[in-house]
Amino acid sequence: MEQEIRACLDQKRYQDAFDRLLPEFQNKIFRLAFAMLADPALAEDIAQEVFVRIWKALPGFRGQSSLSTWIYAITRNACLTALKAGSTKKESSLAEPSVARAAEKRGIEPATHAGIDVLRHLRELPEKYQQVLRLYYLEEKSYEEVSRMLEWPMGTVKTNLHRARKELAEAVVRSKI
Amino acid sequence: MGCAEFQELVVAYAELADDARVRVDSHLTQCAGCREFLEALHAVDTQLAAQFGGWEASAAFAPAVRRRVSREAAMRRLSFIPELLDFVGWGAIVALIALLAWWGGPLIAVPTVKDAVTLNAALAAGGAFVLVAFVIGLRSLADLKH
Repeated sequence: MEQEIRACLDQKRYQDAFDRLLPEFQNKIFRLAFAMLADPALAEDIAQEVFVRIWKALPGFRGQSSLSTWIYAITRNACLTALKAGSTKKESSLAEPSVARAAEKRGIEPATHAGIDVLRHLRELPEKYQQVLRLYYLEEKSYEEVSRMLEWPMGTVKTNLHRARKELAEAVVRSKI
Repeated sequence: MGCAEFQELVVAYAELADDARVRVDSHLTQCAGCREFLEALHAVDTQLAAQFGGWEASAAFAPAVRRRVSREAAMRRLSFIPELLDFVGWGAIVALIALLAWWGGPLIAVPTVKDAVTLNAALAAGGAFVLVAFVIGLRSLADLKH
């Protein structure tokens, strides 16, 4: 698909390129934004903004990096800007409970199970660990995809996931004592 | 090997070699603390997979993106002013150079040929610079407005 999109760009058929790009990347961009922002509604807003930026920037895409690398970089930058803008109201707008509410609507069981509230402990981890954990499970446990989307080396992804899961499990054990 | 090291192995269990797994399994049968850690890790994996697995953008997402992009495209089509200013600016520069070439003679009469060339070249370059700066300034203003 990426080759098809690049062929459209080479022929300056930007609308065709965009029409192919939107279904190909909409879920990836949404999930990356969700992982970084921890709020599905905000993630959709930012993902829309990312597509508008992509549409504006398509004529300037020089193909020096892969299309997905370029798109994920735009997404990460948009999310970082949103995080900075919302940092003061983080507790109300970016808090994890919105995930739980959305999850309930989708028929997913509440976060607590056998008295363990993993999401509460997740919120207490460093931001970097939270993001990589969310993305890992959003991307169905694909190290490769997480590595591509965050532009981290594979070893860094594995190390951070290992530490994050361990810290989370330790927090769960401590909460039961 | 202590419990801390076994717990490191428990976290990486899926990627362990067979002999390491056997050692971990053996330790787990004897250590209640590590079994509790394993249960906690299992709860973490299960709950996070349930919470975050299978998320996709909503059905309204793609139509909303297309609406926003169409609006942007319409605004861009209306914004012909920058292109017009570019055309006028470059036209003015070409006209100025052509005028100077056609005129040929010195703009200001000075005693020596060397002084005349220096002075007139400086005047032409200065004039062109001011003109270009003016047009670029107008263009930037137009971009800001759009």
